[in-house]
Amino acid sequence: MHLLWWFLFAQGGVVAAILLPIHILLQGILGPLGVTSVVRPSDAAVFGNPIVKLYLLVLIAVPFFHFAHRLRYLLVDFGVKAAKSLPAQVVFYGGAVAVTLVTIWVLLTTFPISFG
Amino acid sequence: MAKEYPWRMPVAWWTRNRHYFLYIVREFTAAPLALWLLWLLYDISQKSLVHPRAFAIFSVVCLPFALYHSYTFLSLAGSIIHFKVFDRPVSARLIVASQFAAWIGASLVIGFFLTWLK
Amino acid sequence: MPDKTITIRAARFDPEHDKEPRLQSYEVPFYDESMVVLDALNHIKSHIDGSLSYRWSCRMGICGSCGMTVNGTPKLTCNAFLRDYWPRPIVVQPLNNFPVIRDLVIDMDDFMHKLKSIKPWIIRRQEMPLGAGEHRQTNEQIDDFRQFSECINCMLCYAACPVYGLNNEFLGPAATALARRYNLDSRDQGLKERLPVIADPEGIWECSFVGECSVVCPKGVDPAKAIQQTKLDTTMRFVLPYGNRD
Repeated sequence: MHLLWWFLFAQGGVVAAILLPIHILLQGILGPLGVTSVVRPSDAAVFGNPIVKLYLLVLIAVPFFHFAHRLRYLLVDFGVKAAKSLPAQVVFYGGAVAVTLVTIWVLLTTFPISFG
Repeated sequence: MAKEYPWRMPVAWWTRNRHYFLYIVREFTAAPLALWLLWLLYDISQKSLVHPRAFAIFSVVCLPFALYHSYTFLSLAGSIIHFKVFDRPVSARLIVASQFAAWIGASLVIGFFLTWLK
Repeated sequence: MPDKTITIRAARFDPEHDKEPRLQSYEVPFYDESMVVLDALNHIKSHIDGSLSYRWSCRMGICGSCGMTVNGTPKLTCNAFLRDYWPRPIVVQPLNNFPVIRDLVIDMDDFMHKLKSIKPWIIRRQEMPLGAGEHRQTNEQIDDFRQFSECINCMLCYAACPVYGLNNEFLGPAATALARRYNLDSRDQGLKERLPVIADPEGIWECSFVGECSVVCPKGVDPAKAIQQTKLDTTMRFVLPYGNRD
């Protein structure tokens, strides 16, 4: 089991490390402040595209397995031994699964799939 | 036989040494980045930037954490990833360089898409 | 010209009389720039206070006996030069993360147990008959594991590891590096036998790559790298059908 969490942790870490900064810079800072024109969540053409939806699923959901693993072990580092227990694993990794499901639901229901 | 003095881990062990402190910072970066992605997901579900100014301010706070995460994670990849080409191990520095190259390359490609698609 | 001295504040703990360790100060003559903390301790024991207890042997950084906490950092006291600390006092305490038997002497039973648990010897499915001669090995094959064979069992890595400090069930850096040394040895066929200990939840998976073990290692073994590579190899074994197995 620990092997699986570590593997997902590593994959999520790669996704977060390589993809996140540019998204934060453009979609989080330069776009909302109007410095450059950046894709917005209101763009039906972009957010309806299934390839974009798949990309967003990877971008949002996979790092959560990384975050879950890291934050659980951060608690261990602070002496919270309960963070190693099975219920704690369910909470953290279950949380990542929950985020994945919510992301799928949001991506499927906001803009209908179109190639437009 | 007389009693040994047991070891007790000091609660503030991570403040005793710069390496330990930076390690905790590195681990902590997960928290703001998780929140940022959740905020993005929320905006996507609402089909708009609900609070552009607040999001921008939060993003300014998150960006240094994201950069520190990327820098530390990709640097450590050189320790973890190991393989041989023609029976000679590939140097760790080359592996780390390739990770950073992939980071820059991906950022340029995605940056292009995010600004061009508008 | 007044003689140069340096203050050593050494931890003292007498299990029969003391409830907890305390620091005791000693003034030690600092007459040679090549002096190390171990020299200072030996001076204290020979000339000032014969009751001070500590481990040492080779005094040249190869036996691994004299590991202690020097000003908060795990170091070999034969490798800690007084000139790097003078004129400030030097606080010498037993290695972190271990129970203290007396003064600067720690209980290393757990460490010895961990080393033994990963079966640090060549394991063969079938021993070669004597007539077949020795196991041949190229330099490249030795290079595969050479770095991990440099460990002198000094325990500085365990003293530096906060994960071990928080939980002494953790297998730890030196034991994992040693396991990897044998797993990578071309003569060895014992990976499967070591796997249950390594892949145990308290084995490699407890490690969160703080990396301090490799920072303090006096021999450049890089146990952090050994552990991370073991994590990757163990995962790949699981993922690839027949690729990497043995």
